[in-house]
Amino acid sequence: MIPLARKTLLHEWRRFLPSALAVAFSGLLLLVQAALVFGIFNSSAVYIRKSAADLWIGYPGTQSIELGRPIPHDAEISALMDPQVARVEPFNWIDGDWRGPADKGGVSVFVSGIDTRADGMMFADVLPPDLRARLDEPDGVIVDRADLAKLGLSLGGQAVVNGHRVRIVGVGNGLRALGGVNIVTSLATSRRLDNGDSRGEVAYYVVKLRDAAQADVVAARLLRSSSPTPRFGVWTKAAFSRRAVLYWMFETGAGLGVLFLAIVVFIVGAVITSQTLMSAVAGSIREYATLHALGVGFAQLRRVVLAQAAWVGAFGLVVGGVATALVVLLAHRRDVPVQLDIATIATCAVLVMGIALLSGLAAVRTLRHADPALLLR
Amino acid sequence: MSAALIAESLDKSFISGAVRTDVLRGLSIEIVAGELTLVSGPSGCGKSTLLAILSGLLRPDGGRVHALGHALARLRPVELEQFRLRHTGFVFQGFNLFPALTAIEQVMLPLGYLGLDNETARKRARVALEEVGLGSRMQLKPAALSGGEKQRVAIARALAKEPQLLFADEPTSALDAANGQIVIDTLHRIARTHGATVLCVSHDPRLVTHSDRVLAMEDGRILSDRRTQRPASA
Repeated sequence: MIPLARKTLLHEWRRFLPSALAVAFSGLLLLVQAALVFGIFNSSAVYIRKSAADLWIGYPGTQSIELGRPIPHDAEISALMDPQVARVEPFNWIDGDWRGPADKGGVSVFVSGIDTRADGMMFADVLPPDLRARLDEPDGVIVDRADLAKLGLSLGGQAVVNGHRVRIVGVGNGLRALGGVNIVTSLATSRRLDNGDSRGEVAYYVVKLRDAAQADVVAARLLRSSSPTPRFGVWTKAAFSRRAVLYWMFETGAGLGVLFLAIVVFIVGAVITSQTLMSAVAGSIREYATLHALGVGFAQLRRVVLAQAAWVGAFGLVVGGVATALVVLLAHRRDVPVQLDIATIATCAVLVMGIALLSGLAAVRTLRHADPALLLR
Repeated sequence: MSAALIAESLDKSFISGAVRTDVLRGLSIEIVAGELTLVSGPSGCGKSTLLAILSGLLRPDGGRVHALGHALARLRPVELEQFRLRHTGFVFQGFNLFPALTAIEQVMLPLGYLGLDNETARKRARVALEEVGLGSRMQLKPAALSGGEKQRVAIARALAKEPQLLFADEPTSALDAANGQIVIDTLHRIARTHGATVLCVSHDPRLVTHSDRVLAMEDGRILSDRRTQRPASA
């Protein structure tokens, strides 16, 4: 059998190039969009995922980490009484008003007060022991590299938070989250910055279990100890992180806006790809009509066109994939939050391939509805 | 001689917007095997539509077509495709060759769909291309062939299937005198030596003198039907 689809593609690659590029750009747009959506919204859970805690105890019903409110001390006691609990660590979360250099005005910040021990759970993945130790300096803070410009300061710079002088003792990476600038301090410093508003109460207790696999069971048990009127809520690391992402994705206008944009990108990509592929296929419509006149069935012609669409889709995916990799790499360098996992890449690939194949089918339909007597001249 | 193609009271009209155009009006003909039959007439007289209906590409609004003993109206679309695949060849004014394929691949392509293996298809394609005088041009793509050569590739493509029915729609209109003559002779030879029924529609007057039979058509009807006197060996 003569490999018509492949030979035509190779010989007339210029005709198919626009559709391959359309596929590539659709793939690129979808993937980058997805990477940004997941990057941005996952950054709302960055503190949860980059810490070593198995359970989070916080104010009942807390939807996202930055919405934490002080909870009573007995939450810590309840947790410590559970036989499965290995360690409990307080994590303080307060709002702050940052006043740095005069030309930067005031900046709203979230202050995270953490246990500075080398094996502390909070930010275990992003703050190495030596950096944590620097927080033992009274009024020392760590800020994210990406926020330095916004704050107008560099390492060693001084500012005022909630009326207290602080000094940047370290610069971290990966602390950036949604909703504002995040600065990290020791628990003691955070209490000073709080001006006593929380009466010594902290917003969260994070819990290390003896067996992380028991997280769901222990969470349910601790929650029961908080009833009948819940004084605190308990979530596993995964559940709390998901809560934060869903809150930002669906409960805020920003999230819905980005999702809407992703849908628009998909539709635009689909339309452009199908139009270019259909016109590429339509360029051979007389030849296909001749084959059909000679008795080659629509089913067999469809196979030829679909094979072409699949090759175009595959080529476009490779180009789009490489372009996406470059964009994501650039974004990482610039501290833009992007995140892609295999499932997202596979979903985008299936969508893009689906666009290509459906466009091929649509092109075959134009052949089926054409009048052979007019086509065959 | 028995008729290979029989059409009885064919009607066909096309509707474009609010305008209805009758293309065929109660047309009946019988076409016998082993002859080159020409349907001639002015543009728009319905010749191409008649050819499309007789070859099973188009269904008539009324009337019947019997081709090689099959009532085409009774065949389902897939059966019609099979019928065309096994029994018919086509040659068109526009050649309609795939730019990506060499001459021999153009001819081999439909043979593959007939179920022939590559080796058999290649042999048959070579014989067909030699028959139309393109033995030395088999590896060339359409861009490297002249108009006449392209048309001969198209004829070889139809011929290699060894069809009993060969339909040609204006096969010479895009060709100069010499190439037109070669194409006409080839079509005629196919009718004579292969015993095929060759139906050609054209308004090219050169074809008239080389046909065995000429049907003059106008306004969807056959106006005259005459046999030409020409030597059998031509």
